[in-house]
Amino acid sequence: MLKETQLHSYHAEHGKLTEFAGYEMPLWYTTTTEEHLAVRNGSGIFDVSHMGRLAVRGEASTAFVEGLVPTSVARQQPGKAFYTLLLNDRGGIIDDLIVARLGLQEYLLVVNAANAVRDLDHVKALAPAHGVEIEDLTPTSIMIAVQGPGAQRSLQGLADVDLAGLKRFRSSAAKVLGQPSLISRTGYTGEDGFEVIIHGPTVESPGEAVKVWEGLAATSVPCGLGARDSLRLEAGFPLHGTDIGEDTDPFQADLAWVLSSDKGAYVGSTAVSELRSHPPGAVRRGVVLDQGIPRHGFDVLEASGKVGTVTSGTFSPILKKGIALCRVETTGSEPGTEVSVVVRESPQPGHIVKPPFYDEDVYGWKSRGNGK
Amino acid sequence: MDLQGYGIPDDLLYTKEHEWARQEGHAVKIGITDYAAKTLNDVVYVTTPKLGGKVQQFQTMGTVESIKAVSELYSPVSGTVTKVNSRLDMSPELVNKSPYGEGWLIEVEPADLESERKKLLDSKAYSAYLSTLLK
Repeated sequence: MLKETQLHSYHAEHGKLTEFAGYEMPLWYTTTTEEHLAVRNGSGIFDVSHMGRLAVRGEASTAFVEGLVPTSVARQQPGKAFYTLLLNDRGGIIDDLIVARLGLQEYLLVVNAANAVRDLDHVKALAPAHGVEIEDLTPTSIMIAVQGPGAQRSLQGLADVDLAGLKRFRSSAAKVLGQPSLISRTGYTGEDGFEVIIHGPTVESPGEAVKVWEGLAATSVPCGLGARDSLRLEAGFPLHGTDIGEDTDPFQADLAWVLSSDKGAYVGSTAVSELRSHPPGAVRRGVVLDQGIPRHGFDVLEASGKVGTVTSGTFSPILKKGIALCRVETTGSEPGTEVSVVVRESPQPGHIVKPPFYDEDVYGWKSRGNGK
Repeated sequence: MDLQGYGIPDDLLYTKEHEWARQEGHAVKIGITDYAAKTLNDVVYVTTPKLGGKVQQFQTMGTVESIKAVSELYSPVSGTVTKVNSRLDMSPELVNKSPYGEGWLIEVEPADLESERKKLLDSKAYSAYLSTLLK
């Protein structure tokens, strides 16, 4: 039996449904391309209520979260959110997540749906007996991502805080249609936008959840998981379980920028110090093809032979070309390097890029005044 | 004919892989059905055999790809490719907009249409087959 989010009735009525991480979720409502372009050029909304939301509170919470992730926590001011990783003892990536520091002694961890159970176990197992309280907020809240250059305008109509004053990677308590909420200026599309958590709705008693969604849908295009995947790929964001995982470390994942050097021990820190002194044998990169669409598992070739594998690929509606994230040997991973990807036995020429794949002067949050 | 919103023209022959074939004089035009196009959702890339190439009945002859997925194309008839819909290079979305019209894929000169057509489904049989898939 698949799990449902509080917004399932809307998805079932308006969208094509698919299974994802144990949930029945919308794959698309109209077409993936239309929804994708709505986010790049206007505003789109995504039901991301399936993602895990863990509250960590208590007098020992800062020290605890500090020991959990490789990014400095003490340096983050209340109201700040940041992207980081959960590592295992070998430095492998258990999950990637957003941590929001809500107060001096209160944090929110937003984790991938597919890893939510594993992450909760990991966090609970490491929690000290006293001074830290962990609460899974997932069943008693919904989460909607509002993404695109028009996201601020779309969400502002329903929210009681001035969104223009909320900077990127900041979060704020708010009311959305009168419901107690948390609004963060974050997202998984590369565009400006927000992730809104609304406290209260459960599957048994969704209450105002659908009203909030329909309120946003008046000015934003509902988007399914198809567009969510093509947008994150175009922005160059890895998908855990596909592009990165427990067998990849932060250096191989091209995510070493999350590692803070000015902090004490954390899970995986011994392994990370050792890995730091050895350049990784393979690294995550982007590939653009002239023709054809690269897909998961396809071989990446250079003149010397096979140098890597596509970890996820799609067709970019912005570039109108096939794009991929891949794991390639570090030697020869320089942007601009000519490679080919074997698409059904036929090598297709392309080159290595450092994502995002789109022109950042035109698309993405950096191209616009909002949120800077 | 129409089944749950999927168009199934009466004058075509169909495969169980959701391709259609239409006899036009001595030639046979080939495409994918409305159901196939809608299931793919948004066709963004099409590969077909080259002009002059040979296709074999029920053998792969190319692919149609959406953003999310790849689907193999199977030829409804054997023959030689006499036309390729080159508009699909720039406008693959025609397959979605007009699967039985402007979104056709190739035209072939059939090798043995009379015996091969018996292995294809008419619109009634395809509709019955589709209804089993939609249950």
